[in-house]
Amino acid sequence: MTDLLRDSFKYRELIWALAMKELTVRYKRSVLGFLWALLNPALFMLVLTVVFSTVMPIAIPHYAVFLLSTLVPWTFFSQGATYAVESIVMNSDLIKKVAVPKVVFPVAAVVSNLINFALSLIPLLLIVLIMRHPFYWTWILLPISVIALSIFTLGFGLFFATANVYYRDVSHIVQILMNLWFYVTPIIYKVDAFPPKFRWIFRLNPILYVLNDFRMFVYYGQVPTALSILGSFVCAGGALVIGYWFFRKHQSEFVFYV
Amino acid sequence: MFPSSTAIRVEHVTQRFRLIHERPDTLREVFAKRFKGKSSVHDFEALKDVSFEVHHGEMLGVVGVNGSGKSTLLKVVSGVYAPSAGKVEVNGRLASLLELGSGMHPELTGRENIILNGLLMGYSKKQMKAREQRIIDFADIGEFIDVPLKQYSSGMYARLAFSVATEVDPDILVVDEILSVGDANFAAKSFKRMMDFRDSGKTILFVTHSMQQVLQYCDRAILLEAGRLVIDGAPEEVIERYAPGTLASTSALASASEKYLASLRE
Repeated sequence: MTDLLRDSFKYRELIWALAMKELTVRYKRSVLGFLWALLNPALFMLVLTVVFSTVMPIAIPHYAVFLLSTLVPWTFFSQGATYAVESIVMNSDLIKKVAVPKVVFPVAAVVSNLINFALSLIPLLLIVLIMRHPFYWTWILLPISVIALSIFTLGFGLFFATANVYYRDVSHIVQILMNLWFYVTPIIYKVDAFPPKFRWIFRLNPILYVLNDFRMFVYYGQVPTALSILGSFVCAGGALVIGYWFFRKHQSEFVFYV
Repeated sequence: MFPSSTAIRVEHVTQRFRLIHERPDTLREVFAKRFKGKSSVHDFEALKDVSFEVHHGEMLGVVGVNGSGKSTLLKVVSGVYAPSAGKVEVNGRLASLLELGSGMHPELTGRENIILNGLLMGYSKKQMKAREQRIIDFADIGEFIDVPLKQYSSGMYARLAFSVATEVDPDILVVDEILSVGDANFAAKSFKRMMDFRDSGKTILFVTHSMQQVLQYCDRAILLEAGRLVIDGAPEEVIERYAPGTLASTSALASASEKYLASLRE
């Protein structure tokens, strides 16, 4: 684990350059350029807000804020993980020709999506203000959950990026898994909608804790229980330990399979 | 300057590859192979028990026919491949020019690629910024420096790559055949730079198909045949073994080229 930190620190400028490359190449040759990174989530959120406040009202007050408080971090996770899973295969050119620690690619994939996530907090704040939902002081605690979620995303990404090097089917399976996972996680609904005796099942979901914390900070304006925060870091740490262990075990072979 | 007089030490290196067409790519193929009870493992040894040393201030030529393991050897020395057996020891900072476009991104401009390439080699952005102008000057690609690399000619690619790799001032330079795509003028300029490099005590490991270059520039050469090192000796010896009977004509070419280089220097 120390070499993960050491490599990430030593190659921090490279990680940043790769992450920025990811973002700028995506928006190259478009008139608005990088502005799309801001406009995309803003327009998406606006559509959701209009739909759920006028066309299809839902009993949960300020449903758009309720939804987006977890949907925005979920999107960071699902996209960051997807990018990370493909990062080794996508960068096969570099891996085959340059001696560089392979871990920089998944890390850069997570970082580039972290930048996207940070940008999408701006439209989220705007929606909160437009809906006249209170802007709680607990927003300043968001970094705690951002750290936990980034670690979780990287761990997940490292594990499946390794598997994807050997069997390209993995990236497709991850896509399907993400869709499924989205619906079994209380993002569009509340756990309260289920009878109490079944609610324990949700606790088995490792991403539940961190998403719940996001919702507490943004929608409810409350500090989550210590148990919830602890749970988010236990799940994140566990994912990283398993993911990096698997990645490290196989990384010297990647060059022969990409 | 260095704790050891050896810049590169390669000890009993064997490099094994799993041949790509034998490798199952998808789960379906894995199950299909399991079901039929066929083994999918087929190993190929690109390097077989190769050992040699390169001293500081030496220029070593690597020769051999296509597929003899030259490029694999350079990749092992550069750290791209971890050898299947044996050991590689490198003393000093190494820069390598392996294939055209390695460490470069086609969508980024020349200027952006200089930074990216430097970061990939472990240099900082600040260090690269400080060298940027000299790199651009030597590569001599004019206004193309702010154009995406995908619009470069292969000669421009090679010039930029060579310029970056040599301007970062490594202790050891590893060069694959990349220079053959540049024009005569750039080739002469590159060789002059490599000579200056060697004269200042740096080490060069150099793959080429040109016997004239081996004779003219290298202190020593090694010959690879089907992954085995068959001879390690003076350029004349290696040429005699690799292309018997051509030594006289090669040395005539080399001395003509030497005169041309000398005229450029004036």
